Amino acid sequence: MEKSGPVQRTVVLKPFIKLVKLLARAFYDDYTTKSDNQQKSARIDNRGIAVVVLDALTRRQWVREEDLAKELQLHAKQLRKIIRHFEEQKLIMRDHRKETAKGAKMYSVAVAATTDGRAEDKVKLHTHSYCCLDYPQIYDIVRIKVHRIKKKLKDELEDNNTVQEYVCPNCQRKYNALDALRLISMEDDSFHCENCNGELVVECNKLTSEELVDGDDNARRRRREKLKDMLQKMEVQLKPLMDQINRVKDLPVPEFGSLQAWEARATIAARENGELGPNDPLRSQGGYGSTPMPFLGETKVEVNLGEGKEDVKSKGGDSSLKVLPPWMIREGMNLTGEQRGEVRQEAKFEGGSGEASKLSDDKKSSMGNGDEKDLKDEYLKAYYAELLKQQELAAKLNQQESMAEVTPETQLATTSSDRQLGMKSKREEEDEEDVEWEEEAPASANGNYKVDLNVEAEASGGEEEEDDVDWEEG
Amino acid sequence: MFFHIVLERNMQLHPRFFGRNLRENLVSKLMKDVEGTCSGRHGFVVAITGIESVGKGLIRDGTGFVTFPVKYQCVVFRPFKGEILEAVVTLVNKMGFFAEAGPVQIFVSKHLIPDDMEFQAGDMPNYTTSDGSVKIQKECEVRLKIIGTRVDATEIFCVGTIKDDFLGVINDPAAA
Repeated sequence: MEKSGPVQRTVVLKPFIKLVKLLARAFYDDYTTKSDNQQKSARIDNRGIAVVVLDALTRRQWVREEDLAKELQLHAKQLRKIIRHFEEQKLIMRDHRKETAKGAKMYSVAVAATTDGRAEDKVKLHTHSYCCLDYPQIYDIVRIKVHRIKKKLKDELEDNNTVQEYVCPNCQRKYNALDALRLISMEDDSFHCENCNGELVVECNKLTSEELVDGDDNARRRRREKLKDMLQKMEVQLKPLMDQINRVKDLPVPEFGSLQAWEARATIAARENGELGPNDPLRSQGGYGSTPMPFLGETKVEVNLGEGKEDVKSKGGDSSLKVLPPWMIREGMNLTGEQRGEVRQEAKFEGGSGEASKLSDDKKSSMGNGDEKDLKDEYLKAYYAELLKQQELAAKLNQQESMAEVTPETQLATTSSDRQLGMKSKREEEDEEDVEWEEEAPASANGNYKVDLNVEAEASGGEEEEDDVDWEEG
Repeated sequence: MFFHIVLERNMQLHPRFFGRNLRENLVSKLMKDVEGTCSGRHGFVVAITGIESVGKGLIRDGTGFVTFPVKYQCVVFRPFKGEILEAVVTLVNKMGFFAEAGPVQIFVSKHLIPDDMEFQAGDMPNYTTSDGSVKIQKECEVRLKIIGTRVDATEIFCVGTIKDDFLGVINDPAAA
């Protein structure tokens, strides 16, 4: 459960843990789970419990609340209350999941088989809650908390931009200065309540309410002094926290992601390390149900969803249509491009592997390379090496070759015609590309092909001229 | 803050105004209806500066009234939070004072008046500094900053402060 190794990669957790610990001691030191009226009767003082919980959470990642309660020897309800408080404070991520306790399920099935009634409530899924510290959010929360405290104190110190509030002593109804126009009465120059016509009094600031009785000068001065004092004290007391915030500022924030994502990552990491036995704590914590079910299909499915996606995709392209080895390709076979192994290369382009750049660099050699990798046949390697030489020599005559390929006689020409065919299919596309990219290539070619292209070129040229004329006219 | 904007309004005109002066009648009625009103959205309409267009009139069944859609240019005044205004004090009491900046009423509560100014009750209630050099009373002009606005559908009310640099009394006709 406390395995932080596999999930943590480069981010350093330490400073953030320290931040959380400081935060806990600064703001949640005197947090009690008891409400005020209970506290008088409560004999045990459980202040500081929140600090204990937060500290425990810094040593864990996602944890089931029941487990945490057990380890902290707290009552589950008590812990849940604290955790809910922290959730409201946005320090903690929570996740609730309905899970079957497998044993209970089987038991309930058995019960249903033997007796007719009362089976339904036994099948009930148990909701388990998980929680985890939300470090990125904690960082923001701490900062805004401190900022808000400072701003409140400063504003009150300077009485800045505060709309004065008034309260009716009789009916406790509250007004503010924006209501002033409605509240002035004709008889005297004070504000009166709309309900009971009682005279309103200025509501004093909550922070220093006990001192400010009637807002006279003396009290105001004392209040200011107190505020100043508070501000100074705060600066001093929060200094370690602020220092830690500044230290953490430029560090990458540890992020565990949602429960599902975290589980997926943790399981994969564990599997890579070969650690995931059936009794592995990760499994028992992350999987469905408290009892480990190593042969349960569903857990595996969930895991595969997480990260294996890309692999599945790229392999799927291959497996859907098998690439025929070149020696199997005979003349007259009606093959798709995929079967000739063309897609395979595209997939590699998509994958962005190292050879992709090579492929784009020089087409001819890359063609050779790609095929070499596909075919493990030594003989073919030698053949391609030779072919490459030939190609380099006959680089200018590319077009002729392609023409020759089109004519039926060359298809039967060599003894290893079958293999050459496999090559040809690739060469054809290569030549097509040449035609597209280099307009000079067709010029060197001969035969009807060349004529076609020239005609096209001329036609296009003519069109251009016509376009020019049009423009001039327009 | 003042804005020059174009607004639109459907004007109902009585049949007796139909004639060669129809347009003038329409405009004068528009001015009478609109100028000085306040909408929460645009603020106070201070003045109509021009007519953009007068649409086709539509005769109402039964009454004979005709509805003209009129687009007009006008100057509106809309106070904003943080804006500095000059206002005339209208009422002083122990809770603070009220002031008017054109159509807008502004209340400055006591705690937003500088600490060294004391309330003096009497015939002419006022806030005065201890040395008596500055006095805020009815009719005097103050420069204040708006710190809060209440915008209703038909009225705008503001809360201001003079507890800041360069705010306070700018002219006192009573002292002059």
